[in-house]
Amino acid sequence: MEQWAILSGIEGNLVAYEALLDDIRRQRDSVAELYVLGDVVGLKGDNRAVVQRLQSPRTGELEPQVCIGWWEEQCFNLYLLGGLPDAPELIAQEGADTAQHLFESVSRESVEWMRSLHFGFHELDCLLIHGSTVGYADELTPDMPAIQLCDRLIRADAKNLFCGRSGLAFECWIEPSDLCSTIVTLEGTQAPKEQGRSPRRVVGVGNVGRILGQATYTLYNPANNHITFKTVKYGKAKGFALQGSQSQHGHESPDIRASR
Amino acid sequence: MKLAVMSCIHGNYEALNAVLSDIDRHKTDQIYCLGDLVGYGPHPNAVVEMIRSLDIPTCQGCWDEDIVDGLNACDCSYPSQLAEKRGKQAHEWTDQVIHPEVREYLANLPITLQAENLAFVHGSPNSQHEYLLPSMDGFAALERVLSTGADVLFCGHTHVPYVRDLEGGKLSMRVHQPGQAETQKQSTVSLKRIINAGSVGEPRHGRPNATYVLYDTDSKQVTLREVPYDYQKTCLAIVEQGLPPIFAWRLARGMEFAERADDPNHVCQR
Ligand SMILES: [Zn+2]
Ligand SMILES: [Zn+2]
Repeated sequence: MEQWAILSGIEGNLVAYEALLDDIRRQRDSVAELYVLGDVVGLKGDNRAVVQRLQSPRTGELEPQVCIGWWEEQCFNLYLLGGLPDAPELIAQEGADTAQHLFESVSRESVEWMRSLHFGFHELDCLLIHGSTVGYADELTPDMPAIQLCDRLIRADAKNLFCGRSGLAFECWIEPSDLCSTIVTLEGTQAPKEQGRSPRRVVGVGNVGRILGQATYTLYNPANNHITFKTVKYGKAKGFALQGSQSQHGHESPDIRASR
Repeated sequence: MKLAVMSCIHGNYEALNAVLSDIDRHKTDQIYCLGDLVGYGPHPNAVVEMIRSLDIPTCQGCWDEDIVDGLNACDCSYPSQLAEKRGKQAHEWTDQVIHPEVREYLANLPITLQAENLAFVHGSPNSQHEYLLPSMDGFAALERVLSTGADVLFCGHTHVPYVRDLEGGKLSMRVHQPGQAETQKQSTVSLKRIINAGSVGEPRHGRPNATYVLYDTDSKQVTLREVPYDYQKTCLAIVEQGLPPIFAWRLARGMEFAERADDPNHVCQR
């Protein structure tokens, strides 16, 4: 059965991305779609090389479907292609020197390419996005109050919400039920309605580039709704990693029934 | 304690006066206002001066925000392009006539007000531009109330008053993280309430009367009030001031002119 590979946060780490592509090639069940949920650039790696790698996949490779992440938004700010010219979030989080460093690590052309990317993808009953429909900076984690995750799923209008902002790998099933809603207007009281929904899921897809030597990503099988988190260990030394990357199979999640 | 809560006066001084008299008759202890003091109507300065002179705690509405920050509105501010065009005309007119101290007052209005277990916002706790329509998914509505920490959320912005009780909602959550044992949690949310105060000066419930609400904090009773006033006076002033006559037309009918929000769940990103 064909699966989707979903990843986020390459953060300029080309070696990690290559190791992950190797791992995808080795999957028993073929991978039909490759989604990259933002943060392809970052502070530590080779942003130009990663952008180029994503723009021109090699013969026989999947065309990555890339959406905008937090770091891309910071690039828009720095290159005056976005709403906040002084990049306040970036300066507050990383300092002014970092802003300069990020500016120099990407070309105007690659920032324009980032600008052409989507905010997210709606496929089947899934939304794939960096943060959430609330915004690119919205960080969904399993520690968030259930009502907030529930709200993000309702806004996403999807049964599965795949996101990358937190960098964590997790799946979180939310089932809202038994809510009685009564509305009174000037015309009188409407009959109370009971509201509830079938369980839906927020999936954190992990992070590729942040931790040196270890990339995590997610495999999703739309036919049976099954999620597998994968951790790929690779050699940290550049040059070595390309040939020597070794795959270690990630923790397999228990079977999860399709939600419909 | 008896509260009166009003919203969306929109420069309609006649309607404001009628509502204030009605509030007087009900002997309330405190009045709150949920913003949109200006826009559409012919008397923005007089309305702001009245609210200020009465020291009514007020939060900032979508029009108040736009008059201060300029119309950089995302499409979500208007239900249609036609409405957007007319809204822009009204914005420009209001922008020209309001006094500097009125602009300053609007600029300094808080986004939310809180009093014990009550919260007051214009649109929603997320944005002055978000519509909390009665048709909104119950759990999404519940999230808006819970995000304030209050039990009762007062809002306006839709111009149609309603009370919505949300009771007994359950949320179960099952988390799986690689290398960790699966966890499960369940919670039940106690009764929460959304009270939409309607609109004093630009009602859209199908009649021209001004609307607002009374709330008794002890008995928890809500009364949706509908107050007749001489709307023809305001209609005349709208036309005399050179504002789009359609505003007078719809004021006399208490309706949005064949316009519905395309996507009421859309959340402004700006
Ligand atoms: Zn209004
Ligand atoms: Zn409004």
